[in-house]
Amino acid sequence: MTKLQFRVLYRQFLFRMVDLELLSASAQGDISKLLGQFAGLLVFFSFACSFGSLIFDRGKLSPPKLQSALWGMEHFFISTTLLVVGLFSVLSWDSTFPDRRDVLVLAPLPIRARTLFLAKITAAASALSLTVVAMHCFAGLGWPFHFIPKGGNALRSLAAYWITMFAAGAFNFCCVLGVQGLAAQLLPRRYFLRLSAFLQMAAFCWFVSSYLLEPSIVTPSAFAAPQNQRALEWLPSYWFLGFLNQLNGSMHPAFTALTRRAWIGLAVAFSGTAVAYALSYFRTLKKIVEEPDIVAGSGGVHWLPGFGNSLETGVVQFSIRTLARSRQHRVMLAFFLGLGFALLVFVLKNPGPKDASLRAELPLLFTTVAVMCITVVGTRVVFSMPISLRANWIFRVTQVSSVREYMAAIRRPLFVLGVAPVWIVSAALLFSMWPWQLAADHLVVLGLLGAIVAYVCLAAFRKIPFTCSYLPGKSYLHMAFMTAMFLMLFIVRGVVLESQALQNSTLYAIMVAVLAVAALAARWWAVSRANEEDAVVQFEEVQAPILQTLGLNRDGVVTTEAASAHNSHAC
Amino acid sequence: MLELRSVSKCFSSITAVDNVSFSARPGEVTGYLGPNGSGKSTTMKMITGLIEMTSGEILFEGQRIQNDLIGYKQRMGYVPEEPHLYAHLSGQEYLIMVGQLRGLDAKTTARCIDGLLRLFLLHGDRHAPISAYSKGMRQKILLSAALLHNPDLLLLDEPFSGLDVGSALVLRSLIQELAARGKVVLFSSHELETVERVCSRVVILHRGKIVADDSIAHLRTLMELPTLESIFSQLAVEQDTAAISREIADLIRA
Repeated sequence: MTKLQFRVLYRQFLFRMVDLELLSASAQGDISKLLGQFAGLLVFFSFACSFGSLIFDRGKLSPPKLQSALWGMEHFFISTTLLVVGLFSVLSWDSTFPDRRDVLVLAPLPIRARTLFLAKITAAASALSLTVVAMHCFAGLGWPFHFIPKGGNALRSLAAYWITMFAAGAFNFCCVLGVQGLAAQLLPRRYFLRLSAFLQMAAFCWFVSSYLLEPSIVTPSAFAAPQNQRALEWLPSYWFLGFLNQLNGSMHPAFTALTRRAWIGLAVAFSGTAVAYALSYFRTLKKIVEEPDIVAGSGGVHWLPGFGNSLETGVVQFSIRTLARSRQHRVMLAFFLGLGFALLVFVLKNPGPKDASLRAELPLLFTTVAVMCITVVGTRVVFSMPISLRANWIFRVTQVSSVREYMAAIRRPLFVLGVAPVWIVSAALLFSMWPWQLAADHLVVLGLLGAIVAYVCLAAFRKIPFTCSYLPGKSYLHMAFMTAMFLMLFIVRGVVLESQALQNSTLYAIMVAVLAVAALAARWWAVSRANEEDAVVQFEEVQAPILQTLGLNRDGVVTTEAASAHNSHAC
Repeated sequence: MLELRSVSKCFSSITAVDNVSFSARPGEVTGYLGPNGSGKSTTMKMITGLIEMTSGEILFEGQRIQNDLIGYKQRMGYVPEEPHLYAHLSGQEYLIMVGQLRGLDAKTTARCIDGLLRLFLLHGDRHAPISAYSKGMRQKILLSAALLHNPDLLLLDEPFSGLDVGSALVLRSLIQELAARGKVVLFSSHELETVERVCSRVVILHRGKIVADDSIAHLRTLMELPTLESIFSQLAVEQDTAAISREIADLIRA
């Protein structure tokens, strides 16, 4: 009975390991396609890295350079594993503990809490292992053979590589679970639930920024340098670099302290997490059932300003409240904001050589423009993910304004939540760092660029934010990735042009005029597409037909399909 | 007056509503009854414009609703069968949003919302998220949202679901009061006792087709049956209920 229960629960928990509600489980569509795309991205990453192992020529490098290059690659794989597992643990944040639905469904059944606990743990371990395997399935079969030390053997190097990657992943996952477990132990459940959302965001920011900002330390002298000791003490990626080198037998004296930290870290993470998680798990099971059904009204601020007419105000206020209160949507947006934030910190930390011929700081110009683009695109993406899909009937039943008015109301939230915040933060930053005229000049350009990006994003968007069903797997992640890369190159070129224009008033005037015309054209395009004759507010994302008719019927002859469509419309 | 003429709805090969025609007049409450899966909610959704009919036409005050769907929606209030609400909003925020979407005057709406929340005893919980509301509280929010704009046509799909006795009594009186003030009320429910007390006439649906459309008093006389329940059982219940209950008891014993 228990074994059967375990198997059934294990399958259930494994399927729900990644927060499917984040991907809109209630929407029609194929969730597995999207998860497959994520797995595909990891496998693609692994494949691309393994390609490097084929062309890597050890003979061309001097021994010190070879050592640095190999340490650099080892560190890259470890820190990327930490990042991916960290993001995985953020996505599966709530599924590691039983939720109210789990408890209410399972508690009346004759299932031991121990069976539930073991099924949950095993599902988490399986999902984690699959993530690590997907990420290293090609790279992990190529690069370990370059990491073989003198006198070492291939099998040991291969085993050391895989053990290190699994250990690093497990360490990160355990840390996240441990923090959750500790918070659940220390706080009353209601406060824990509130804090949990902030912890999730903090964990996300930590994983992204530590990945992008950690220093590159890959030479023996760098490891010995006093200024790097603090970073080495606090960065687990370097602990596991030592761990890997110890396991494959190429232990360098510089790694001794780091390796010790890795072992201690693993022991603390495993044991501490096991205790905190187990305690909080059994405690949570009881607390969830005892949770009151009615929550007392909070005394917080509920007022929001108007944003135009009543419909526009309604749509914008709904969007603001949804984004502020829906953890799933916040995490999605945090992914984009995290990229922007990391870019900002990276550029501010490494401003690069100043071009004497430029008045403005090129890196800051680039950052503000890139963050504007990332935020607007990210906000637009988040708007397409529904919340409480079945509640959208209220928008349909209350659709008492014209489609044109709805389209205007749909455009507004992107400006309020995407363009305006970045522009305001940039203004505060630039006015505090630059002369006011220079800052104002750039802010005009930034505002126009934000408007252009927003209108382009809105051109085919006919959905009230968060109300239309979502078809997972419809967008092609690899295409989006390549477009983003192309856009970044375009931004770099554009920013160089702007920095020249900021020194020359004629050039600046031309640039602003061109951007203003482009913004107006983008607006005209978005508005005219939104107001096309057949335009309707979209509440249901429809699957593209497998067979696409070309409509190549003879002139004057109506096809059967068209005729039936016409008849049903007439009825 | 709300009028349905030969309305049908097909989902793939299944005909959920088959050639349904009836009318609901101002000043009276029309009960719309039928067993599970008979097509009641589908009809309600077609009347609200949430789903399109396969054939037929729906008229409100002599005009096809599709001719001016916006104008029609401005005059229609709807309480759906399932209390699907945006649970991350508070009750007050939800009602304000509905007012904004309907383009109502902000000040008047605020006063109306405040009054409705007080009368439905939700004022103390107006800032709590709907996710924390009980089923009855959610139902009251749905009712408030449907009444906010003083609609001329009120479509109520199981409006008593989850309400306590006191609130149910208030709602029962309210439905009659609204009808007395000249509103068209179409009321769907499984609680036949309530329907008998509230409705002046009933439309009974079975397997997507209308099997009765008359006043309750006339149906009683015509069928020589004492209650609406017995009329409904005869027209729409095919099963031998006593035999089925015996079979279930025997089955679980085995």
